[in-house]
Amino acid sequence: MPPIPPSRPPGFSRRTLLVASAAGLALLSAACTSPGDEREQVTSEQADELAGQVAVQESLVAAFAAAGAADAGLAAAVAELAAQAGEQLDRLRAAAPGSSTVPTSSAAPPAGAGARTWLRAQVASTAASHAAACLEQSGARAALLGSIAAGLRGQDGRLT
Amino acid sequence: MADDTAGTGELDTGTENAALNEALAASHAAVWGYGVVGAALDADPTPAAASEEAHRDLRDRVTALLVERTTEPVGPKGGYAVPFPVLSAVDAAALAVVLENGVAAAWVRVLDQSMERSTRELAVAALGDAEVRAVGWRTAAGQTPVTTAFPGLPAD
Repeated sequence: MPPIPPSRPPGFSRRTLLVASAAGLALLSAACTSPGDEREQVTSEQADELAGQVAVQESLVAAFAAAGAADAGLAAAVAELAAQAGEQLDRLRAAAPGSSTVPTSSAAPPAGAGARTWLRAQVASTAASHAAACLEQSGARAALLGSIAAGLRGQDGRLT
Repeated sequence: MADDTAGTGELDTGTENAALNEALAASHAAVWGYGVVGAALDADPTPAAASEEAHRDLRDRVTALLVERTTEPVGPKGGYAVPFPVLSAVDAAALAVVLENGVAAAWVRVLDQSMERSTRELAVAALGDAEVRAVGWRTAAGQTPVTTAFPGLPAD
């Protein structure tokens, strides 16, 4: 009787994804892509868009900090979510080495109970942004952005 | 299955359709597995039924897509090995987490292997839906954290 499929397909690891992603962008910067290798052919638009998603994620990490400052109780409640957003940012930065970013949102959350609603909106919009960007990428970059978008959709439901 | 994600494999419709078939196989397993989950949730089987229905819909959609591409879709197995005994509602929720994690991994694989934008659109939606369900099941299973930063990606 076959087992239920594992959560890790054979021959597929996060490390593989990141190595492939970083290698793709490094090759792009050296103008040295390998003909016929689809996943190494990163267009300048794709590279720019991935760097843009780093900025989007930086804004979300900043939003967690701002929401926590506005509502101390919220800061404790969302500490795990904030940590995960930070992990996602680290992974995106690793996939887009050398990206120079500026957070795209400078809006401040309302004080008190409204901070949670505001933070949820930031999480939802970031998830939507990564999901949309995923469609324009391929290979490891698409997988990474899609996974992060899904993770943030899961967070969204925790902020109701 | 060969490791064709290590930066050396060329993506084509074959790799995309193979990944879609893996996602279809995961959907078959999830539909079967939710039967086990629902049976252990006598008090309120509604969440399991809703999840099973979602996987049935996705299964039918992927099957139709593969047939349209003249690729033979994989069928369901006669049964599957459950990874642990399901003797309580908490066990059932934990099994649902396993099912959704397996589906999420399969859809991340599709994202990695797809050529078509429309396929990525399907995959990213399916992956997000799986994680939303998984969050609910992790909560029911008493697992922490209930969210994960990288659904479908392995932990190393």
